[in-house]
Formats: sequence, C-alpha cells, structure tokens
Amino acid sequence: MLPYYLEICVVVLGSLMLCMELFAGRRSRAKIAMVGVAGLGVIFALLMFAVCSPGEDLQYWGIYHFDKWAAFYKGLALISTLLVLVMAREFAPVFKHYTSQDEEKSGIGEFYCLPIFVCSGLMWMASAKDLVTIFVSLELVTMGFYVLVAFMRRNVGSLEAGVKYLILGALSTGFLVYGIAWTFGVSGTFNLEELSVVLAGDDIPSAPVMFAFALLIAGIGFKIAVVPFQIWVPDVYQGAAMPVTAYLSVASKAAGFIVFLRVVDPFLAAPSIREPAIYLMVFVTCATLIYGNLAAIAQKNIKRLLAYSSIAHAGFLLMALPALGAAGTIAGPGPESAISFYLAGYLLMTLLCFLVLTVVRVATNGEDLTALEGLGKRSPFLAFAMLVGVASLAGIPLTVGFFGKFFLFNIAIQNAMQNGLWIVVFLAVLGAATGFYYYFKIIRAMYWEGSVSEGEVTGLKVGRLAMLAIILLVVAVFFFGIFPAPLLGLTL
Amino acid sequence: MIATGFAVTTLLLSVALGKSARRNKIKDSPYECGMLPIGESQPRFSVKFYLVAMLFVIFDIEVVFMYPWALTFRDFLARDQAAMVFWSMSGFVGILLVAYLYALKKGALSWES
Amino acid sequence: MSIAFIILLLPLVAAASILLGIRKKANLSAYVSVASAGICFLLTLGLIRGSGGEAGAFTWLSVGGLELKIALEITGLTRGMILVVTLVGLLVHIFSLGYMRDDAGKARYFAGLSLFMFSMSGIVLADNFAMMFIFWELVGVSSYLLIGHWFQKNSAAEASKKAFLVNRIGDFGFMAGILLLWGATGEIGFSALRETLEVQTFDPSLLNWAMICIFCGAVGKSAQVPLHVWLPDAMEGPTPVSALIHAATMVAAGVFMLTKVTFLIIAAPVAASVIQHVGALTALLAALMATQQSDIKKILAYSTLSQLGYMVMAVGFAGFLHSGEAVGAVASNAGFFHLYTHAFFKALLFLGAGAVIYACHHEQDIWKMGGLIRLMPVTAITFLIGTAALAGLPPLSGFWSKDAVMAVTQNSTPLLIVGAITAFLTAFYMSRLCTIVFFGKARSQAAREAGEVPLMMRAPLVILALGAVIAGFEFAYGWFIAPADLPHPHGALPLVLTIIGVAGIVTGYLLHRGREKDPIRVEVLVRKFYIDEFYLFLVRVFQDGVAYLAKAVDQLLIDGLIVRGSARLTVGVGLLLRGLQGGNLQRHVFLFGVGIVIVIYLITIALG
Repeated sequence: MLPYYLEICVVVLGSLMLCMELFAGRRSRAKIAMVGVAGLGVIFALLMFAVCSPGEDLQYWGIYHFDKWAAFYKGLALISTLLVLVMAREFAPVFKHYTSQDEEKSGIGEFYCLPIFVCSGLMWMASAKDLVTIFVSLELVTMGFYVLVAFMRRNVGSLEAGVKYLILGALSTGFLVYGIAWTFGVSGTFNLEELSVVLAGDDIPSAPVMFAFALLIAGIGFKIAVVPFQIWVPDVYQGAAMPVTAYLSVASKAAGFIVFLRVVDPFLAAPSIREPAIYLMVFVTCATLIYGNLAAIAQKNIKRLLAYSSIAHAGFLLMALPALGAAGTIAGPGPESAISFYLAGYLLMTLLCFLVLTVVRVATNGEDLTALEGLGKRSPFLAFAMLVGVASLAGIPLTVGFFGKFFLFNIAIQNAMQNGLWIVVFLAVLGAATGFYYYFKIIRAMYWEGSVSEGEVTGLKVGRLAMLAIILLVVAVFFFGIFPAPLLGLTL
Repeated sequence: MIATGFAVTTLLLSVALGKSARRNKIKDSPYECGMLPIGESQPRFSVKFYLVAMLFVIFDIEVVFMYPWALTFRDFLARDQAAMVFWSMSGFVGILLVAYLYALKKGALSWES
Repeated sequence: MSIAFIILLLPLVAAASILLGIRKKANLSAYVSVASAGICFLLTLGLIRGSGGEAGAFTWLSVGGLELKIALEITGLTRGMILVVTLVGLLVHIFSLGYMRDDAGKARYFAGLSLFMFSMSGIVLADNFAMMFIFWELVGVSSYLLIGHWFQKNSAAEASKKAFLVNRIGDFGFMAGILLLWGATGEIGFSALRETLEVQTFDPSLLNWAMICIFCGAVGKSAQVPLHVWLPDAMEGPTPVSALIHAATMVAAGVFMLTKVTFLIIAAPVAASVIQHVGALTALLAALMATQQSDIKKILAYSTLSQLGYMVMAVGFAGFLHSGEAVGAVASNAGFFHLYTHAFFKALLFLGAGAVIYACHHEQDIWKMGGLIRLMPVTAITFLIGTAALAGLPPLSGFWSKDAVMAVTQNSTPLLIVGAITAFLTAFYMSRLCTIVFFGKARSQAAREAGEVPLMMRAPLVILALGAVIAGFEFAYGWFIAPADLPHPHGALPLVLTIIGVAGIVTGYLLHRGREKDPIRVEVLVRKFYIDEFYLFLVRVFQDGVAYLAKAVDQLLIDGLIVRGSARLTVGVGLLLRGLQGGNLQRHVFLFGVGIVIVIYLITIALG
C-alpha cells in the first residue's frame, strides 16, 4: 500500500461522515463520532502494518516524502484525532448547551468531521519537505482550527477566541508566506533538501537569508506557541471547547514541531548562518522557558494553566534544537529523537489530563481549579488518572514525562558542555522545578481542598469509551515511563 | 543613505510647501455637494449575502484551478501519467461534490428559510 | 534470580498485593507487609555472609551510547546499609502493628511502608546513577505518602507537600549533576566511573560543579541547610514512620550516596570543601535549635539533622587535602560508621518517643509529661540508653562513631571546634529531654495515667537498645568496614569528648531538674532562626511578584477578560464586538508585530 493512500483514506472518511451528518436527520449524531473513531483506528492499523516500512526515504513527485519521521508524526496525528473524537463525544452536552439542543441545528456532526479533515492536514504536514507543501498543509490545518475554536457559537469566550485565532493566525500566515518568498528569492528553490545545498554554499548573502529565517520562525513559531509569538495561546485555549484545546495543544504542536525541525535544519546546517540562527533560537528558547513557567504559577483557570504549561513544554522541546547539527557527538538519542519522544509522551499525558477535565467539565460546569476540588473523593479513579497525567507533565520518574525530560536535558547538557549555552540548561532546570509548583496546585485541589460531605460522594458519569481511553492512557504513561525503548525505537 | 535622504527630504518638502487645507464643516463632510448621507456609513447586509458570496468564491476558484490542469493534461498523457492526473482531479471534484451536496442539503443556498 | 533481587522486589510485591487486592482486609494487609519485611531481613542475613559483586545485570535501555542497566552492586557499604534498612524496617513494621492498631488507613499505611522498603533497597543496591535516581524519587514519593498519612490534618498535608517540594529542588540538582558527570566521563555506573576517574583526568572545575550538583540531591534528602526545613515538619507523620524514614534510613540515603561516590569527592576538592562546611553548619544550627523545642519529636528531628550534619561533614573530608594528599575513604567510612550506629540509637529514640506519645494519649509536648520512668520503666531505660549513645558516652556505639568522625575533623581546627560544641549541645538537649520527660513529677493528667506499652512495641525497643550498645564494637561492624579503614583519633580526643558529653548531660540535668518551663529562653532558637518565616516570605514575594507580573501581562493582553468572566457565558455577540473594538485584539496584533521586530532586531545584532 502506498503511503499517501493514508491521507486519501482520511479524507474519504471525513466525506463519509459528512454525508452521514447530511442524512442523519433528527437521529442521534453519536454514531458519526463512533464511525470516525473506528475509521481512524483502521487507518492507524494500516499505517502500522500495511504501509511499507519507512526504513528508506520514499519520495513522490518531489513534494511528498515518507520517512520514519513522517510515519511517526502521522501516527501521532491519528492517535490524537481519535482521542479528541472520544473527548468530543463526551463533551456533546456542553456543545448543545452553547449551540442548540436540537442535534440537527447544533451542527455537532460537523464538529466530529472537522478534526478528521484537520488530521489529513496534519498527516500531510508530516510528509511535507518543501515550503509550498508545508504552507498548503499548514493552512489546511489552520482553517480547520479557525472553525473548531469558534464552534460554540453561543459562547462569547469561544467566539472571542475564534476571532483572535483567526486574525493572529492570518497574520502569522502572512509572515510565513513572506518568509517563504524571501527564501525562494535567495535560493531559487522551495525544496528543503536543495535549499540546504544552496545555503551551504559560500556565495550566499547572509542578511537576506537571516531575514527569511526570522520570518519563517515567526510563522511556524506561532503554531508551536513559542515566545514572542505565544500571545494567542492563553485566550484561545481558555475560550475554545475542551476537546479543541486538547487538539490544539497536542496535534497542532506536534505537527508544527516536525515542520519546524525540517525548516530549521537547512539553516542550521549552513556554516555562515548557523551562529546567528542559534543565537536567535537560544533567545526564543530562554524567553519561552521563562514566560511559560512563570506565568503558569498565577493561573486559576485550568485551561489557562495548561496553556502556559504548554508554552513551557515548547520551551523544553526547543532546548534540544541548538544541538541540531552541532559539532561533537551526543551519547543517547539525538535531538530529533528526543523531541519526537517527548512529543509522543506529551500527547499521552496531555490528552489524559484533558479527558479527565472534559468529564469534570460536563459534570460540574466549571473550568477553574475549584471545579477539581474534592475530586479525590468524588471519583478516585478520575483523580488518580489526573494525578498520573499531571505527574507525568511534571516529569516524575516512572512516567513517560520523566524520560522525555531526561533525554532533552541530556542533549542540552552535553551540547552545553561542548558548545557552551549553559544559560538554557540553567533556565530549564529552574523551569522544571517551578513546574512542580503549579502542577501541584492541581493535585492539592483534587485531594486536599473542598470538603465533600459523605452524602455527596457520588461517582461522576464517565462514558464507556472515554473510560477505556483513560485507562489505556494511564497504562501507556506508565508503560513508556518504565520501558521507553519501544516508543523511542520508533524515533531512532 | 541617499535613498533614505531622498525619502526624508521629499516628505519634509511636501509638508513645508504643501498648503495645508483649511478645515471647516463642509470640507469635512463625506461629500462636499449633493445629498447629505443618511443612516449608517456601513449599512448591514443579511448574512445570506455573505454566504452566497463565499460559496461563489469557493466554487469559482475551484474552476479556475481546473484550467491549468486541462492545459497540462496533454503533457501528462505524453509522460504516461494519465491515470494519476485523472484520479487526482476526480478526487478534487469529488470533494467539491460532497461540499456542494452538503451546502445544498443544509439549505445554505435557499434564500427563503 | 539472586538474593539481592528478591530483597529488592519482595516489598514491591507486598505493596502491590495490598493496594490491588487485599486492601479491604486491614489486618491481613499488615501481616503481609510485616512478613515481607521479615523475609527480607532473613535474606539480608544470608546476603551479608555471601560474597560481594554484581548481581543480575540486564539492559534496560540502550540508545546510541546511552546504556541504562538494571543491576545491583554489592559492596561492604551496601551490606552495612541494607542490614540497617531491613533490620530497622522490620522492627518498625512490628512496632507499627501495635502503634497503628486502630488506625482507619492501616492497609494504606502498610502498603506505604512496603513501598518505602522497596524504594530504599533500590537506592542501596543500585549500581548506577540512573537507577539510583529513580529509586531516589520513589523514596520521595513513598515518604510523601507516609508523612501525609493523616491527610485530614491540615498540618500533615502541608508538611508532606513541603517535604515533596523541597526535595524536588534538590533532586533537580541531582539529575543535572548526574547528566553533567555522564557528559564529562561518558559513564553512569559507579564502578565504571571509579575506574574511569582513576585512569583519566578530567577538567576539575567540571567535576566540582558536577559534584556540587549531585550534593544538592543529598542536601535535599538528608535535610542539610538550607533545605532542612522539611524534616521537622515531616514529624507530622506517624511516629514509626519518623523512626524508619526520617531518622534511620531515608535521610541517611544522602550520606550513603555521598559515601558511595567518595572517589568523586576526592577528585573534586572544592565540592568537598562545600560539603564539609554545609555539614558542619547543619550540625551546629540544628543542635542549637534542638535545645529550645518542646515537642518531643521535633527535638529528635533536630537532633537527627544535627547528626546528619556530622556525617556529611565527615564524608566531605574525603576530599580534604592533608599535606597535599586527600584524606580519602577513611573519612567517608567514618561518616558511614556514624550513619550505621546512629540508625540504631535514633530509631530507638524515635520508637521510644512513639511509645511515650502512645502512652500519653498522643500528647507530644514534653512540658506535659514527667516522671514516666516509674510508669513505663522498659521504655524509659531503653530511651536512656539511646540518649547515652547519642551523647557519645563510652562504651556505647555513639562513642566510637563520634570519635571516628571527630578524628577526621582533626584535620581542620575550626570544624573540630564546631564538632565539639555540637557534641556538647547534643548531650545537653538530650539530657534536658530525659530530665523533663522521665524524671520529676507528672505535669498532666495524661502523664499520670500513662502505662507501659504492649509487648509488640516493647520488643523492638529492647532489640534496638541492644544494637545501640553493641553496634560500635568491632564484631558488629567489622564485617563491612575493616577497622583499619577507619580513622583513629590521636591525642586525648576520646577523653575530651567523653568529658564534653558528661558535662552536657550534667548541665542539662541540673538546669532542668524540677522545672515547669525552660529556664533559659532564646527566642531566635525557639523560632528556628526564622528560616521558615524567611522562606515563606520569599515564596510570598516570589509568588506575589509573579502573580503581579502575570496580571500586568494579562491586563495588557486580555484587558478585562476576567471582569467579563462570569458574564461571558450568557451575554451575546455584541459584547464581544465591543470588547474587540476596545483595542483588545489590536493590542494582540501589535504585540505580535513587536515580537517579530524583536526577532529581526536580534538577527541584525547577531549578524553584527
């Protein structure tokens, strides 16, 4: 089976679901979500077993590549979309509250379809190795998100988030296109492999290349939420519906990172541009680490807290970048592997947290930390799952988050030892320590705050599918925290 | 340096030499003669107009896309890639069709409802 | 599967079976846990008679030059430590059967104890830093669970949180240190590191930094200044837990780890000097604070801090350059020797305190006790034995180990003086404690009604008292540290120390005999040098500062989003548009532009 059939399958699945929505009439839409989940599961299985092994770099028409990274990030996109659909199904009551109680008018079927189309864009991004393809697939994803963010049309927060995301997203797209134009102007090519050859040449003028680089960083930096292009994150995360926030923080970020890595690589590989480019990257990394971790401390809204924490995680991920193409060898997994592993772990733990939060949100109608109070008594199972997710985000051993941080720190420290840049390591250590503080707030709220009298102790209702997803995620967080080798093996 | 100097000089010159308009009420009005504008300067239109306009743009652009395809079709035939080029356009039109059906069934094109 | 592996895994099996299966049956859970501790102890007896070496290594993770192994290393130190862990662990398990008899969360408690035994054995047996670090964290987690056992009590919840957070600070340093060391040498296993350091020379400043970072881990876990604040608060946990974790084993893990990396301390003289002075400072400050506390467990907690300071100081002397040559393993052996004897008498003292508290209906204020020697003679006498050992009276175990530690400090006169003052204070505050609690007349109803504790609790006391007496003799320690490897005091040091100890005891007795309250009250000591207040202040300033900053940013960026927060759920689109026209989004876009300008500006700078 040819790898690009996967995207075609996803698009067909999406169209199919759209048709189901079309002819569903007044019937329940839950089945559409189920079709989506099942379909994505099948496509994931196809990716795992049917598509030829990604040992070699397959190319199609020069615009579509299929290598190990492509396969890995396609897998991430599929899994996260699948889980987001599970979450969306759980979230349906809140949707209806903010749209229409009538399922036909609420458009909830569309809400199940849109992530599928976004997913095809994400998968395409994973395979994109030239600037035009990157741009087109990135836009496909972003368009989908514009709608998803603003989906709860009777909720001001959601609309506000939608408008902000739209305007700022368009702005960042503008910069991205401008950067692509400059790059093309300087190098005469869109293809990243050819670009690296051109940039490595001696007669390349460094100023316009750096200008192009800065613009590209701005454009893609917006998607992965690094400072100073993070302004939209807290508001949009807070305003958007829970599943959309989860999707934004996981899938959009993962796909953004693979594109980021691919775009940055030719610039870092060019000797005349490397130094200023690293300089810029270090600035961005430090700013992201400081801003994300510090701003998270004061947050009371869980989604806002997770938004800042997602900025902080982007900072940790960026930490490995200066090692990309650096002189000297690094023992252990390389920067790309460490980043990919971290992103996969981040997917597991973040979606775990959001799944729990979705259930809590539906039951308590609150998104502040106070909504979690007494969860330890109300639903020990959910509280435990949340605990695992948060512990993993904080990087406690035996969870997948620990190994993620371990590999990243390893790279940063070894790189610092060879090439300086201790400031990044220092800030990252501080940031990781601070991280404990604000993640602890969630744990404290769940277990120690809020008195629940005996009569009130009732379990929260969890859908069977969501329950299964939560259990699987908890198991996965522990499993890959104890045996990281299988997951890491995929990224090597 | 010369370019900057030129820009700055011309800007300064235009301020210095240009006669700044005397302002009065009539001068500030949108139209110096004719009817006085009544109502909001940006009247509201029904959202249906936007919807139709948007659908028009989408389908229009898609047709524009078909034109270069038709032009290069012969080259692909010569390179024995007819199937690929045919199916990709079919897929494109297929997606379009689903979208069209969806818009139709959802009543996006019916003016009345 | 070697014996060592069984010792490691058995408690885990016990903990897992309690948590996953039989947790509803509290008594069965308790017995399973005690049985696992008992078997571990018996296996340990087998282990310490066997030969050393590595046990069952298998690769856990192998990625491009990074190889993590699960392997156990058994050396003399390991055997001494594992004996302490399993023996004290077993006795505490047994004691807990009595102490926690009616506790509602008994199954949870014993599961926590077993989990702790598992993690602690892991630290002791680990043969590389990566594995040690993971167990290090696990010990933190289990300790956290046990401190917070009575989490309904606000203070217990707060204490466990504090312990966890403070330890995290140290642990991040530890991890950074491990990675630094690994980056510098390419090795992560202890024996491999030792060999590499012998044959190769490395940048000393790098090694110093790495060692200081690693020491941060020990500062956290062994509660050295300035991260000592969590240990006294940790006394909110059940008393047997304090005996096991916060006196004999977990807090000693830092010292154990330092002893294990003696070769590294020798290679990093600056770090060694830092270690000595931090240890000395802790020893002195904690002893001073202990003299003015009135909670029986707090006194013992500060005493533990002080003794840990001794050990750390001694281990730090391994890198002390004595006429051009490092003092070496002799010094760290002295520290470890003190750890070994201290485990016995401090566990004894804590369990004794537990017995007293149990008998006085959970009264912990020493000023409400008195005259207990007549009512509970076994407890009192064993407690006095422990006190004498702690004060360093010959021929009890504390005398020998303190001698060894002081012999090491003879290399540096200022630290010798600090050590001597601390020794005096130690004797003084312990004598104060005993005089008030066991002599004189009862000061409250609870103390009058006290009676001897059940056999289940008495037996561990007697066994530990025996240990406190004999642990300092050669036959009791010679099998893991050859006496020749211990430092020997020169001059009249033992005699002087004995005199200091007796003087401290006599002063303490005379001052506090028949008193109703402290004759000398030093506010600064009662308030523990205001360190807690200072930290609270720091945290508050920091948190407020950050909150203020975040708020400023928020207001700049979001402008009134919070104000609308509650209304936004119901109000329609008009408000949204008004909000937008208010400049909110414009500001966002403006800031985005500013970001890009900054980035481009930086590039121009970078290009020069």
